[in-house]
Amino acid sequence: MSVRSPNWVPYLQVAPLSLVFLVFLVVPILTIVVVSFFDYDSTRLLPDFVLTNYEELLSSSITWRTYGQTLEFALITWICTLLIGFTVAYFLAFHVRSTAWQTVLFLVCTIPFWTSNIIRMISWIPFLGRNGVLNTALQGAGVIDRPLEFLLFSDFAVVLAYVHLYTLFMVVPIFNSMMRIDRSLIEAAHDAGASGRQILWNVIIPLCKPGIAIGSIFVVTIVMGDFVTVRLMSGGQSASVGLMMINAMSLLQYPAAAANAVVLLILVLMTVALMIRVVDIRREL
Amino acid sequence: MRDGRRRPLSFYLLAGFFGLFVLFLYGPTSTIVLLSFQGPSGGLTFPMNGVSLHWFGNLFERQMVGDFAGSLQRSMLLGIVTMLVTVAVSFAAGLAFRKRFRGATLVFYLAIASLIVPSILISLGIGLLFRVLEWDPAWYSSAFGAHLSWTLPFGLLIMFAVFNRFSPSYEEAARDLGASPWQTIRHVVLPIVLPSLIGVGLFGFTLSYDEFARSLYTSGTFNTLPLEIYGMTTNVTTPVLYALGTVTTGVSFLVIALSLAAFVVIRRRRARFGSDAGRGV
Amino acid sequence: MSEKKTAGPGRRTMLKGTAALAGTALGSGAIGGFPTIWGQTTKNITLRQFGTGVSNINEIADKCKADLGITLQMTALDSDAVVQRAVTQPNSYDIADIEYWMVKKVFPANVLQAMDVKKIKYFDKIVPIFTTGKLKPDSVVAQGTAPSTVGFVEGAGSTKFAKGQTGWFTMIPTIYNADTLGIRPDLVGRKIDSWKDMLDPKFKGKTSILNIPSIGIMDAAMICESAGIVKYGDKGNMTKAEIDKTIDFLIKTKKEGQFRAFWKTFDESVNLMASGEVIIQSMWSPAVTAVRSKGVPCIYQPLKEGYRAWGGGLGLAKHLSGDKLAAAYDYINWYMSGWVGAFLNRQGYYSAVLETAKANMSEDEWGYWMEGKPAKGEIKSPKGVVMEKPGAVRDGGSFYDRMGAVSCWNAVMDEDRYMVQKWNSFIAA
Repeated sequence: MSVRSPNWVPYLQVAPLSLVFLVFLVVPILTIVVVSFFDYDSTRLLPDFVLTNYEELLSSSITWRTYGQTLEFALITWICTLLIGFTVAYFLAFHVRSTAWQTVLFLVCTIPFWTSNIIRMISWIPFLGRNGVLNTALQGAGVIDRPLEFLLFSDFAVVLAYVHLYTLFMVVPIFNSMMRIDRSLIEAAHDAGASGRQILWNVIIPLCKPGIAIGSIFVVTIVMGDFVTVRLMSGGQSASVGLMMINAMSLLQYPAAAANAVVLLILVLMTVALMIRVVDIRREL
Repeated sequence: MRDGRRRPLSFYLLAGFFGLFVLFLYGPTSTIVLLSFQGPSGGLTFPMNGVSLHWFGNLFERQMVGDFAGSLQRSMLLGIVTMLVTVAVSFAAGLAFRKRFRGATLVFYLAIASLIVPSILISLGIGLLFRVLEWDPAWYSSAFGAHLSWTLPFGLLIMFAVFNRFSPSYEEAARDLGASPWQTIRHVVLPIVLPSLIGVGLFGFTLSYDEFARSLYTSGTFNTLPLEIYGMTTNVTTPVLYALGTVTTGVSFLVIALSLAAFVVIRRRRARFGSDAGRGV
Repeated sequence: MSEKKTAGPGRRTMLKGTAALAGTALGSGAIGGFPTIWGQTTKNITLRQFGTGVSNINEIADKCKADLGITLQMTALDSDAVVQRAVTQPNSYDIADIEYWMVKKVFPANVLQAMDVKKIKYFDKIVPIFTTGKLKPDSVVAQGTAPSTVGFVEGAGSTKFAKGQTGWFTMIPTIYNADTLGIRPDLVGRKIDSWKDMLDPKFKGKTSILNIPSIGIMDAAMICESAGIVKYGDKGNMTKAEIDKTIDFLIKTKKEGQFRAFWKTFDESVNLMASGEVIIQSMWSPAVTAVRSKGVPCIYQPLKEGYRAWGGGLGLAKHLSGDKLAAAYDYINWYMSGWVGAFLNRQGYYSAVLETAKANMSEDEWGYWMEGKPAKGEIKSPKGVVMEKPGAVRDGGSFYDRMGAVSCWNAVMDEDRYMVQKWNSFIAA
């Protein structure tokens, strides 16, 4: 870098950011770790160093089942958002040739984002319900003779809502990667006689890996920590790790929730560590 | 779309897919819009009960429970302050990261961690922290911090993207012409990155305005709008919530249309008069 | 908190700036050491109240302002958040509008202060459910966390619940009701008279219960007991074995697809019923009213095993003192003086002091809501919307019929921790 200024300047510039992360990220997470070893009674935290919270958590089959369920949601959502997100990004990057159009189409995709997540979620309910828009339409068209029950208050509904809420998180980084691909590479592959499919598979997808990784990190981590969507869309019929924590907290069992939080955190960090090996995020932006 | 070549079949297939995707995005939104035009005895589900503008009027009246106005004000204020702080802090940090300094990698990984740690954990952690310290959480302190922990990483990543594409030759030229470091930033760097900063700001505002999980245990006495909506769903069974959604979507359309128009006007002006960098716009 | 410091002009200006930012919450001493900006009379006192949406109603705040000059700032939350806020942020509120099962968790945390019954104007007129526990002298106290069991503490600063009546009251009862099953008479197609009707295979995929553990477990217990699946020593305080049996049965029922959903909030229950997703479910009385007001038939069906009851009240935050405490007492005395009671009764809830509420209702209203008599004229909601036509009779009959047939109260058990784990397993199954 070639800008001459005193050595202490970057430290000053980065100080506010570091301070926020210290106070509102590092310290709270450390608090959670500390509290997870506390004991508790029906209302109070009892500072202590006990492992009972972890024992209770890890020895229970419910915990494993819930984690399994959460990971399953994350995986299915990841596959769906990846396929849809990649296709949409591909269309925007390679088939829409003017920047103005790209911008307009992008904005069209982002507008629903401005409505509160909660309102957007509850709006699925009249759409998918037993007497909802979709069932009424399908019955009207004679496609089905009785309403489809699985559309709402089911795992299907949960995944649908996730895909609806988070696909855009996949589109943006993948699109960004695609726009950075040197178009002459594709021309060269074309001239060398590669088919469209081969170009996609051997040129575009490898070069999009960073974008895919960034999008995946977003989608997977958000789904793993979610509790609102699962509760609303499954009608309380499915559980997730976040919901388990919320339930524990609502009964003031903070240390139990904290232990669960620590386990979830470790899992999330491991998942992300796996993904991050594919990509150097700083270089890729 | 002025392109000489004929479009391949794949274009139409993909365009169709994109159209379906947009439909999918707007499907539930359109449900909300429809249901918000119900008559006075309307509910939250189909079948519809009459057609009227009743619930839009009702939106501006006081509900039986809850307080749209107060919580909207809080969310707006919080969103705006979060936006300004996010822009300033990300910009400064972005400048810092162009140079080498000790701990850069650590700070960067903290930013990534801040993105990936589930919101509910941050919320719980800050709530617990305040509890252990016996401080009182409030929407303008603990919730503000919780929101920043969410918006700043985005801001920082966008700044990385901008500065990765930023040629240092402009600054060198400015320095050769005798500009101080501050003048260089003020008259050279800022005008160039201004559109991205506006993007960071919009992003920051939207994220904060919509944040539910991170406000849950950090907002103290008074609710922000998402919390209020959630609290209201415990007692409000009228389409007034949908009316709010419809209005929000309408306003977003408007804001985006205006921004686009402004953008086009600025570009035309710049095309006509050359860059206005250095004139202190 | 001392709030009588004087401040220099510089500090005063700064304070105004902060106050503009931070709203008026500062006066409560939420931030230590700041002087208050307003004069020290009840007229200008602000009380911050929070609770579930059930009774945090804006009209009550308006009326309170008009009658007493006290500004009430209401915050509505869902019931999970209420318990947490009560215990973990004791300085964030002045008045806690909470339920009796929550008291059992909240009061021992030493965040509320017991009230001196000598300062409670209508104490002697409170429905005895909340004092002696017996609606009539010959009644039996129902199972579960009955309000009378957590109604009194042993002394002024104590957090220990007293066995009998003392001079220190934990909460002013404000609102309570007997809950049962709501049904869609047009869709169930048969007579419903027992909790076990929820298990009818005909209703597969069309039933629902609550997903608030302390309440849902009581629903489940009512169902299990009436179907003869579990015999309970005390439904309101189950043993581990009883909890296991109950939850195992719930899991089995869930896997068979009997339930459509588990609802957590008022609106969810209304939507499930109004949209026809569910035709029989555990419900709250005003939710039934809300379904009806949308033109959908819905009945609040009395059942032979009796009702599951709940009650809510107002607690005073520990930190209240001086003028604020005096204002809080004024407020609760005003609350029981009749206007609010009538307001709540007109929504199908019950108020704690019947005599004063009666004075604020018309004879016809009182007859319909409280005495089980057929309505003579139209029965209107507090908002003036017609709810019932002349001739209508309230489901379940009179106040004494309904509150006299309470089988159990929403409960916090000794095995609470275990119960919640099991409940989570049921939801996760």
